[in-house]
Amino acid sequence: MDAVSQRVLQYLTEVEEAAEDVLTSKQQIVDLDSKRNRNREALNALKTEIPDSEKVKVCFGNMFIKFPKSKTKEMIEKDQEQLEKEINDVRKGLKAKVNRLNEMQGNPELRGYNLCPLSTDELKALNSILKI
Amino acid sequence: MATTKVPEVRDIMRIERIGAHSHIRGLGLDDALEPRQVSQGMVGQLASRRAAGVILEMIKDGQIAGRAVLIAGQPGTGKTAIAMGIAQSLGSDTPFTALAGSEIFSLEMSKTEALSQAFRKAIGVRIKEETEIIEGEVVEIQIDRPATGTGAKVGKLTLKTTEMETIYDLGNKMIESLSKEKVQAGDVITIDKATGKISKLGRSFTRARDYDAMGAQTQFVQCPEGELQKRKEVVHTVSLHEIDVINSRTQGFLALFSGDTGEIKSEVREQINAKVCEWREEGKAEIIPGVLFIDEVHMLDMECFSFLNRALESDLSPVLIMATNRGITRIRGTNYQSPHGIPIDLLDRLLIIATSPYTEKETRQILKIRCEEEDVELSEEAHTVLTRIGMETSLRYAIQLISTAGLVCRKRKGTEVQVDDIKRVYSLFLDEARSSQYMKEYQDSFLFNETQTASMDTS
Repeated sequence: MDAVSQRVLQYLTEVEEAAEDVLTSKQQIVDLDSKRNRNREALNALKTEIPDSEKVKVCFGNMFIKFPKSKTKEMIEKDQEQLEKEINDVRKGLKAKVNRLNEMQGNPELRGYNLCPLSTDELKALNSILKI
Repeated sequence: MATTKVPEVRDIMRIERIGAHSHIRGLGLDDALEPRQVSQGMVGQLASRRAAGVILEMIKDGQIAGRAVLIAGQPGTGKTAIAMGIAQSLGSDTPFTALAGSEIFSLEMSKTEALSQAFRKAIGVRIKEETEIIEGEVVEIQIDRPATGTGAKVGKLTLKTTEMETIYDLGNKMIESLSKEKVQAGDVITIDKATGKISKLGRSFTRARDYDAMGAQTQFVQCPEGELQKRKEVVHTVSLHEIDVINSRTQGFLALFSGDTGEIKSEVREQINAKVCEWREEGKAEIIPGVLFIDEVHMLDMECFSFLNRALESDLSPVLIMATNRGITRIRGTNYQSPHGIPIDLLDRLLIIATSPYTEKETRQILKIRCEEEDVELSEEAHTVLTRIGMETSLRYAIQLISTAGLVCRKRKGTEVQVDDIKRVYSLFLDEARSSQYMKEYQDSFLFNETQTASMDTS
């Protein structure tokens, strides 16, 4: 293979890798969100369906362990927090990855992509001109 | 999802004059900024178009905020066309405001107020809105009403995307807004996490055949992909003037009725400038200097010029493009003579682009483009005749003749405008030179008549 096609191949590989990277991050967010939703369902169920005194069966891997309710709740809540943080991190990373991919493919950078969002109060003030 | 590309929202209305320059789609430059002879509705004027192209690139890069450009040339040499070309090539993202020099004279508003509003319309502020939403297709809604009929309702809502499915417990308030929106199984909905606002996007395709009796307004959408709880980012571009208006409106309802015509207090403007600068420093906003185009700039008077001088120095200033067809003439409102009717100190700040009269070949091209634009077919001889008319009288007059000749042609049920049609409208409508000729003759006879009657009266 001559030098040119070598270079093209290398370039294409890099782009593919970057794209794959983006897709992986996206899938990761989906997985984390589905876990978060399952946790949320569990918390709701704990709140409404089971009396406080009772112990609940918690599934760890392929084993069920009886646990006190308050302890379980605490555990899941901690897990939720962790998940929330993780999703945020992945999203932040995803932005950088998409930027990199765009740059590699020679696409123009998305407009206003790196802006910080306005706070809700500020948005409310501008609402009437934004929603036309 | 963070990467979702949101459909672009066009916030700034573009004011376009219908007619004379509707065929202009850009400056007609290639990638190296070299002008093509005929392209995007532009013909000839190669040097000025190239100059405009350079300025355009600088505007796009945001390099020349607070500068001013003057397009000067004889009437009918494409000054407005070049400005329109710049506007078209800037795209929807850069604000472009056009006004004619005489528009600023009004009873309701001072001249400088009208000018500052125009300035602020030409400055865009880009901001981002970020919302957490839950988006999914409703699989099932289950609402339990208490047997007594009163009291809190409870319920469950099952939502799914292509990847997952989950159950939400519903409170009283949610149930109410769900029933208000008439949400049912098979709808695709979004719930704003912060406000709890529910909006229906449409019905899922998978439920399309559930029943046939469906209103025409029912929209079918795909079941959403990915995660249920998404982050949506929307980038808006608003003009400083729009922010001014909403902030001066809150002061009193009177402003609501007069729309934008009320004057905006300078304190409001200062506050907004401060806020926008603060946002910029916090990374919350980007400022996009747009373009303000003032046609017939010799109509402005001394006060306006000194205002322009000062306004260009402000750090929130757009690129100012002016056009004039005057040579050395009096500055309006003074007795001083100056080139283009613009004071020397302002002229000194301007980049001046000159346009030159069109050659015969170019005139022919422009007439051809206008014929296409106005849907008139022209025979070869008629085209030649029209070009001659265009060269001898003015391009504008020749362009006027296109549509009128088209009408005459249609009246005699012809498909192609012939020389006779052109001759007919040429005799029906006068060009400027012939009109002044007639005027002189008419004036003479009128004066003669007047003196006649006067003498008769006295006798």
